[in-house]
Amino acid sequence: MKRIFIDYEKCVACKACEIACAIEHHPDKSVLSLVGDKKAHSNVKVIAVENINFASSCRHCDPAYCVDACPSGALKRDRFMNAVIVDPYMCKACAMCAMVCPFDAITFKKTYNSPFGRDHAVKCDFCIERIKIGLNPACVDACKTKALVFTDSESFVKSKEKADLKSFLVGHSKEPANVKLFKELKKEML
Amino acid sequence: MKIVTVGCGMAAAEFVETLRTNGSNDDIVMISNEPFIPYSPCSMPFYISGEPIDTVFWKGINFYKRYNIKTILGRPVTNIAVENKCVEINGSDRIFYDKLFFASGSRSYFPDDNWLNIAGVFGFKNLQDILVIDNYIKSEKVKRAVVFGGGFIGIDAALSLWKRGLNVTVVHRNNRVLSQMTDQEGGIYATEKLREKTGINIILKSVVKNIIVDSGKLKGVTLDNGDSLAAELLIVTIGVIPNTEMLGVNTKGIEVDFDLKYHNDVYVAGDVASTKHMITQKSGVYATYPNARSQARSIAYDILFNKNLFRGSLNTNVLKKHIEFPIISAGYFEGDPYTYCDEEIFRRIYLKDDQIYGYLLVGDTSISGFIYNLYISQKKVGNNIMKFLSLKRGKAYYIQALSV
Repeated sequence: MKRIFIDYEKCVACKACEIACAIEHHPDKSVLSLVGDKKAHSNVKVIAVENINFASSCRHCDPAYCVDACPSGALKRDRFMNAVIVDPYMCKACAMCAMVCPFDAITFKKTYNSPFGRDHAVKCDFCIERIKIGLNPACVDACKTKALVFTDSESFVKSKEKADLKSFLVGHSKEPANVKLFKELKKEML
Repeated sequence: MKIVTVGCGMAAAEFVETLRTNGSNDDIVMISNEPFIPYSPCSMPFYISGEPIDTVFWKGINFYKRYNIKTILGRPVTNIAVENKCVEINGSDRIFYDKLFFASGSRSYFPDDNWLNIAGVFGFKNLQDILVIDNYIKSEKVKRAVVFGGGFIGIDAALSLWKRGLNVTVVHRNNRVLSQMTDQEGGIYATEKLREKTGINIILKSVVKNIIVDSGKLKGVTLDNGDSLAAELLIVTIGVIPNTEMLGVNTKGIEVDFDLKYHNDVYVAGDVASTKHMITQKSGVYATYPNARSQARSIAYDILFNKNLFRGSLNTNVLKKHIEFPIISAGYFEGDPYTYCDEEIFRRIYLKDDQIYGYLLVGDTSISGFIYNLYISQKKVGNNIMKFLSLKRGKAYYIQALSV
C-alpha cells in the first residue's frame, strides 16, 4: 500500500506542501483565492522541533484511534487506499477523534465542504481523487527537495532500514550537501 | 447459534457489526422497546439545532437489512430467565437464545414522577425525547427553556437549544457545570467560558424545586431559593438510571469482570455495565461511546474466537459540539497538579507516582491525544510534563520522540 513519507533531513520548511494542499482543497484551485480566505485550510503542517523541521500530517494509522472513537459514523476507512476519511455530512465536530489522536492531525474548521455552515473535523484525505487518476498527492508533487515521497510503504521501510544501517556503520549521511549547508546557515541565524 | 441482543443502541449495533464483519452467519435478533434503526446519541441533539435526521443513524439507514438481522422493535423486554436462556417480551412472547448481549441502555431520572405527565417536561436521553422536544418547540412556539442539571447531557441539550435560537437557562446544583468531568478551578474556568462565549444563562448552586403548570402545560419553574423562571420547556438531565430491572438487578449497573459476563451466556455492555476501570481497576458505569464500542467488540471476539480482549473502561470525555473551546477530561483529579493557564487555554494534569492519574484540558485539542496516550500507557513522565503543557499545535509527540 502506498503511503506518504517525509525525510526530515531533506525538509527545508519552505511550506510549499501547505500551500499546495490548501490550493487542492479550495474550490477555485488557485493560490490567489487563498489570500484572506478563512475557509481555506491545509491538512499538512510544517512544524519545527529544535533545529529539525518537517511536514506533519495524518498517518492513516491502522487500526486508528480516531476511527474507533468516532460516535457519529463520520470517520471511515476508504477501501481504495485504506485511508482514514472524514465525511463532513455525518461529522458533528464532537472532537472525540481529536481527543485521542497522538499526532494532533485532526482540527476543526468551517470549510467549503461544511454542509451545515459550522465547523467539522478536517484532516488529510490523501488526495484520493488525484490518486485515482494517477497523480501524486498535492503535497508530494509540490515538495521541492523531494522530502515528501509517495511510495509503497513496505519497500520504502526496508530501503530506509538499509540506508540507516549504512549511515550508522560508515557514517555516511544521506543529507544532500546543499540542504546541509542551508541548515547550517539557518542555525547560525537563530 | 442464535444470538439475541436486548437493546439496539450503540453497543448492540457495534456488537452486531463486529460479528458480521468477522464472518458470523449466526441468527441474530435485536430487541428494543424503541422503534428505531440504531442511532447515535452523540449526533441526535443536532436534530434539535436543525440538522437532518438521517445524520443521526450513524451506521446507515439500511443497517438491519445490510447485516441480515431480525428485529423486534417497539416492544419492551419484561423478563430474562437466564437459566432457561429465554427472553420474555411484553409479558408473553418468548425468544430463546444461545448467547445474549444485554445492552438495554439507561433512562432519564426525574425527581418527581408527576413531572412526566406535564406537557413541556422532557428527558434528553433517547431519540424519542428529541423528536418530541422538536415537535413541542414547533407546535407551542417555545421561546424559553430551562435545563435542570448541568452535566454533560445537560450542557449538550442546552447548547443545541441555544443554537436553535431559544433563550436557555441551565440550573445546576454544584458551583460549576460539568462537575463530574472537571476539578474546581478548571470547572469554574469552563463555566465562565460557556457564559462568555454562548448566550446560555447558568444558575449555579440551585435546583429546580417545583414546576409551574397551567392547564397541563409547563409555564415555568421555581428554584430552591424561591426565585421563579418563566419557561415553556424544561429538560431534566440530573441523572440516568440503567435499565437493569428485566434481569432482576436493581443496582447502579450490572457489575461484571473483564470477561463482561453476567452469566454463562449473558454478556453486558454499554450504559448498563459496571466495568473495571483500565487504570484504577475501580468498578463503575463508564457510559461513553468508546467504552461501549470496546466492550461490544470484546464480546463479539469472545463469542467468535474465544478471545477476551477487554482491558477495562476509561472515563474520558470531551465536550466540543457547538462551541470552539473543547473541554476534555479523563481519569481522576487526585495527586500532584501541574497547570498551564492563559486567556484561551486551561490545562491541568494530575500525576501520581510520576504517572498521569487524571487531566483536564480546556480551550483546544493540540496536546489532548498525546496526553491521552501517556495516560493509557501509564508512562512515567515526571517533571517533563511541564514542557508539554504549553505547547501549540502538533509538536508534543515529536518532542517526546526526539528527546529519547
